[in-house]
Formats: sequence, structure tokens, C-alpha cells
Amino acid sequence: MDTSQLLKGVLDLAVLAVLRKDDGYGYDVVRRLRAGGLNDVGDASVYGTLRRLYNAGLLTSYVVPSEEGPHRKYYSINETGRVRLAESRETWRSFASTLDGLLGEVAA
Amino acid sequence: MNTQALGVEYYLAGMRAALDDLPPSEVAEIMEDVSAHVAELSTELGENETLEQRLGPPEQYAQELRQAAGYPPRTERMPVTTKGTLLTRPRAAAWGLAIATGITLLAGAAALREPGILLLPGVVLVLSLALVHDRGPAQPEIMALPETRKVQQWLTPEAGTPAERALTYFRSLQPAWWLVRAGLLGLGAVLLAGRDILGFLFVAAIAVVSVYAGPRAKIDRRWLWFSLPASALAVGLLFQVVDATANNLAYNTSRQSYPAPITQSYENIYAYDENGKLLTNVLLYDQRGNPINAPHQYYGCGGGDPQPMIPANRYPRPKIDYENGTCYTVTPSMSAPSSTSSTPSSSSSGSTPSSSVSPTSVSPSK
Repeated sequence: MDTSQLLKGVLDLAVLAVLRKDDGYGYDVVRRLRAGGLNDVGDASVYGTLRRLYNAGLLTSYVVPSEEGPHRKYYSINETGRVRLAESRETWRSFASTLDGLLGEVAA
Repeated sequence: MNTQALGVEYYLAGMRAALDDLPPSEVAEIMEDVSAHVAELSTELGENETLEQRLGPPEQYAQELRQAAGYPPRTERMPVTTKGTLLTRPRAAAWGLAIATGITLLAGAAALREPGILLLPGVVLVLSLALVHDRGPAQPEIMALPETRKVQQWLTPEAGTPAERALTYFRSLQPAWWLVRAGLLGLGAVLLAGRDILGFLFVAAIAVVSVYAGPRAKIDRRWLWFSLPASALAVGLLFQVVDATANNLAYNTSRQSYPAPITQSYENIYAYDENGKLLTNVLLYDQRGNPINAPHQYYGCGGGDPQPMIPANRYPRPKIDYENGTCYTVTPSMSAPSSTSSTPSSSSSGSTPSSSVSPTSVSPSK
């Protein structure tokens, strides 16, 4: 099964999750997602998701100067973002267990 | 290195073109993210690897980003009414900042005399910041203005060139400049302290906040509305302090080397011979043969004087008397200080007659 289709629905959740502890700039977030096992995540999708979450008011951003190359724009999760992350996690868990239940029936 | 830089530019240009139907502020935000991304990726590329191999063509990258960001699908670029939007809030704010910084530089040079002058750039700054205060720390709209891009381009020369090395060096000095700036502002505040307590508090507050504003402006560009004018004020103050010091030095040396000519501080000169007899009609000349003239108001009775011309260097001068509105010239012998007047007697008549100052010491060369 093509995981990229699945990923589309949960990329918001994944991005919020990796920003939960530390702020990060775009490529940072991409790396964290890949390190977490989401190998197929596309760079552009992550950048787009960051923009969408920012425009939805779940993230704030600030610029950090870089010695070499362009300045980096860091994103950090705000209170609204944390609330959304908690809600989405619950939704995901109940959804996953529902699906697990269904799959368990199939397997049995 | 160079081809990579070209590749990055090419890739970003392709993306910008593919996104150009979106609002400019949003495009600026995206490009801020993406240019950092592409630049970082380009350093990781292998020998014969290109950005397109790694990321796909820019159009595809843009398309994927669009979908994930929830932007509408690509439409033909709307003919944006550039005429109506020439004076946007970001542009007004950016120019406000630039103009206020310029004014502060000029005003800073006069701030020690008239600190109230700083209110003018202050008002411009507050107004221009108010225009864009809600646009976030990165101020993408201002960064996307063509004039800002030009400045940025100018400030980021190609890597490896001498200009780039010089700029990098100056950037490394920035924290030192923040301290120097605070010091200059503090000095300005101290110089104001004796005269203008409000001005002192104002400049001292700027000095203190400027230490915080320097590093802060790197993260939140809105602090530039404080940091840039603070630098301008510090430079202006420096000019003024240097100027005042130079003037002071020049004034002191001029006082030492050019004593005021004696003829300008005396109304009249009385010469005596060795017997204590007042000499009249003495003509005085300096070493070059120029007449030594006392100031004009002691010369005679003005333009309508019917008397024959008296040489200006002939001493003692006739004494001018004003009686009933008419001007008289009194003959000098009658007003000799030794007998009648007491004004010059303390200095000249007491010592001169007995001393060795002889009339021959002043020898007319004509």
C-alpha cells in the first residue's frame, strides 16, 4: 500500500509532534520526520504543511541569522498548536484502534 | 561551488515563477523557507548530482508544496494593479524607517544642543512601525519589496570575493559595535545630564535598550525600528563630540597664539617724554610701517565733521564730547590724563613719566 496517501492525512499531526519539544526550521523538521521513520515524506510537503499550520495560527516563526547562507526561519508550536496536537492525537488513537479492531477481525 | 550557486538561483527562480499567482507576502514567506532549504541541500549534493535529481523539477516542488499548504491550484497570474498598490503599508513602513534613520543621523549631530529634535524621527519611527507591527517578526512583505531586495543583493556579494570577506568581517564586529553604540549613547546622555534632565533620561534609556535591541533585531526584524536609528544617533553623537573637541582645541590654540591687538582694547594712547611732558600729535606705526589705529568710534565726530581729516594713528586722540546733542572734539592737550582724567592715570601716568619709555621707542618710519 502506498504510504504517501496515508501520510497526507496525518502530516499535520506528525509535524506538530516533532515540534512539540524543540523549535525547528524547515529542513530540520524534514530530518526529524525521516529519523522518526517517515522515509517517504517529501520536502515540499513538509514546507507546505508548515505554511498551512502557520497560517492557521498553530505555529509562530522567528528568523535566526546563519553564518553561511540565507537566514533560517524557525517554527515553534504555540498554545493553540499544543491544544490541536492533543486533540489530533486522541482522534488518531481512536481511529487507529478502530482500524486495528477491524484488521484483527479480518486476520482472525 | 559557482555552478552550485547558479543551480540554486535557477531552481529558486523556477519556484518563484510557479508560485507567482499567490499573494506576494505569502510567496516571500515560502521563498524564505525554501531558499534556506535549497541552499542547505546544495551543500549535501554529490559530485554529479543536481538539485532537480534530488527534489524534482521546481514546478513539481512548487505543486507539492501548494497542495500541502492548502493553496488553490495554479491560476494564471492575475494582472496585479501595481499602480494602486505602489504605496503599500510595508513600503511606507520601510521608507519611514529609512528616512527616520537618516533624520536621526542629522539630528544626532545636534542632539546635545537640542535633544527635543529627536522627537521628530521618533514620531516617524512609531508611525511606520505601527503600520507593520502585526506582520510578524520576519517582515516578509518588507523583505519582498524590490528596493529591499536590491539592498539585500548589494549586502550579499558572491562568496569568496573581497567584498564578501570584508562584509563577513564587519558582521563579526557587530556585537562589539553594539557595546560601542551603548557607550556613545551613554556618553551623550552624560553630556546632557547637566542641562536637560528629560533629554538625559531619553538618551540614557535608548542606550540601555540598545544593548538588548542589537541581538534581538537579528531574530525579530521589528527591532530594526529601534536598532537602526539608535546606531544613527550614536554616530551623530560621535560626530558632535569630535566636532566640539576639535573646536575647543582650535579655540584654545588661537587664544594662545593670537593675542588681541593692543589698539583694539584701548581707547586712546598718551605718550610722554622723559621729563614727563605729554607728547601730542604722535604718529604710531607698527614694524611694517602700517599705522596703528584705535577703533573708529573714537576717531572723530562722524561723517559730517567739518574739521580737517585727522590721521587715525595720531595720538592722543581728540576727546569726543557730546553736549546738547552736538559733537565736540576737544583738543588732546586739555584732556591729558596726568592732570585731568583719572582713567588711564593708574596704568600709564603713574609709571611712564619716570620710567625709561622714551618717545623715540616709537619711531615713525614714514
